[in-house]
Amino acid sequence: MPIPLYGFLEGDTLGLLMLAEEGETVLQLARKLQQAASLRVARVDQIDFIYNGKAIDPGLTVAQAGFQELDRFDVISRGKL
Amino acid sequence: MLSREEWLPLARKLDWDYTYVREDEVFPPVISGHPWLPHTEWKDWEESFKTSYREYVDNQYEKDMAVYAVRDAVGRLENIQKLAAPWMNSLKVHAAALPLAEFTGVIGSLRGARFGRDSAWRTMSTFGALDEYRHTQIPLLLFHQLVRLDSQFDWAHKFYHTNNWFAIASRHFFDELTLGQNAIEFAIGTNFVLETGFTNLQFVGLASLARESSDHMFERMVTSIQTDEARHAQIGHPVLAVLMKHDPEYVQYLLDKWFWRSWRLFSILTGLSTDYLTALDQRPYSFKEFMEEWIIDQYLRTLDEFGLKKPWYWDIFQDELDIYHHMIYASAYTYRATLWFDFVVPSPAERKWLRQKYPKYWDDMEAVWEQVAERWRTVGPGAANELGVHGTAMPTFCDLCQLPLSAGTPRKNTATVLVREGRKYIFCSEPCRWIFLREPERYANHKDLVKRVLSGEAPADFSKLLTEYFRLTPDTWGKDVYHGAYDWLAAQKTSSA
Repeated sequence: MPIPLYGFLEGDTLGLLMLAEEGETVLQLARKLQQAASLRVARVDQIDFIYNGKAIDPGLTVAQAGFQELDRFDVISRGKL
Repeated sequence: MLSREEWLPLARKLDWDYTYVREDEVFPPVISGHPWLPHTEWKDWEESFKTSYREYVDNQYEKDMAVYAVRDAVGRLENIQKLAAPWMNSLKVHAAALPLAEFTGVIGSLRGARFGRDSAWRTMSTFGALDEYRHTQIPLLLFHQLVRLDSQFDWAHKFYHTNNWFAIASRHFFDELTLGQNAIEFAIGTNFVLETGFTNLQFVGLASLARESSDHMFERMVTSIQTDEARHAQIGHPVLAVLMKHDPEYVQYLLDKWFWRSWRLFSILTGLSTDYLTALDQRPYSFKEFMEEWIIDQYLRTLDEFGLKKPWYWDIFQDELDIYHHMIYASAYTYRATLWFDFVVPSPAERKWLRQKYPKYWDDMEAVWEQVAERWRTVGPGAANELGVHGTAMPTFCDLCQLPLSAGTPRKNTATVLVREGRKYIFCSEPCRWIFLREPERYANHKDLVKRVLSGEAPADFSKLLTEYFRLTPDTWGKDVYHGAYDWLAAQKTSSA
């Protein structure tokens, strides 16, 4: 079952609902958010994925990262944290 | 025969002592409001502008005739057709948001007319209810004829009867402020904060915008409404004065809550019209300048007059003046098919003006508009390409104000998640979270749009969400006014080619 999450991309004007698949990586989820917001925000390659206030390993799967339904995550330019 | 000065005080003050029932049975605390005080505490309640029913009717008749005269002279379809296209969409916003919201004001005012604690208050509330009924009827009358011109004007009647996301947010606000409110909180929230603080002055500002846009029908309509507002809004002051003697902390809470809630809706209605939907050469001021000159100074003076403090979130509010409505407009533009009016991309000249007026965060907004413009360049102009320049992911909404999670700045969105009694909530801002936590039992069971979709109550399919839940159609959903065919965009394309 996909996990609905609140995604916030740096540079965007609103949060978006993202459906995260348990098997996809955190990086894939971040790219999905970038794609969803691409009408408003130009894609940045070097990014950090922020969850619970900390940058997390982009290679983790969604299941490994421990996301709970309706958690917030942020995608920001690398090194901005 | 008594003179007016002799009989009017008698007619205004018709309270008596009850012998068969207790006073708290006639005015139950649950509907008269907190704090419950015996009538001896309210007996000196006095409005500053006194009127009789005969004077009221005569005056309203004159005002109605003036509105009709202007409609007949300059409010015909051929006059409206000459208005600038962006301004027409500002009209559609107000045509939808105004009339039935005013009707909820009828209900709230009637609650004051029955459960207000002094007879003069009840009399004033009766006039207030009649005012609000007039404010429902006039815009419905004037805007309905425009359906022949543009079917989006049908939303004057339809808006509040839909589950459109902005209608959900507006109902959430007005259901609490007016429909379901006790007499005291209505007087503070509606008469004192919303009307004295915002709408009375908003109507002055809107009339000025309409005049600049050569829309004399709308100018006359809002001017006529404003004169009513100015009278019945004064109910709030004497109610507040009594409350301050007994529970100033509660007064401060009500003011802070309703100022924030009013600001949220007001910034969208007036902010978008002022800074985006009025032609550049017809903008008399920026929304921020309007707020500073007309709203903030006056509100702070009034707080000071009553010995009240600025809201605790004042710094957040002041920061939002520079960015919130810009975040909302850009978000709404990129989800315009979810609304019932059309949008424009601000031109380079407009963006230059916006940068001058809002230097603090404009760099971030400029980047967003550049990206939108780039998408139009890529897909090319035309009605068929509208959805190529439109968001596809589900937007998200605040569990208090029900508006998009668009607070903070593009660099740092201020949304925060709260877990309470096993349920998860998200708020766009600290003040929305604070209001929720002060009265969670009031708000906790309301589902925002995202949760309606996740529970299956609203369709997840975007097209069904628009047509079945928001009750839009391909004809009526919002589009780019020019379908991306901007001269400046074509010129940029040519010069960069």
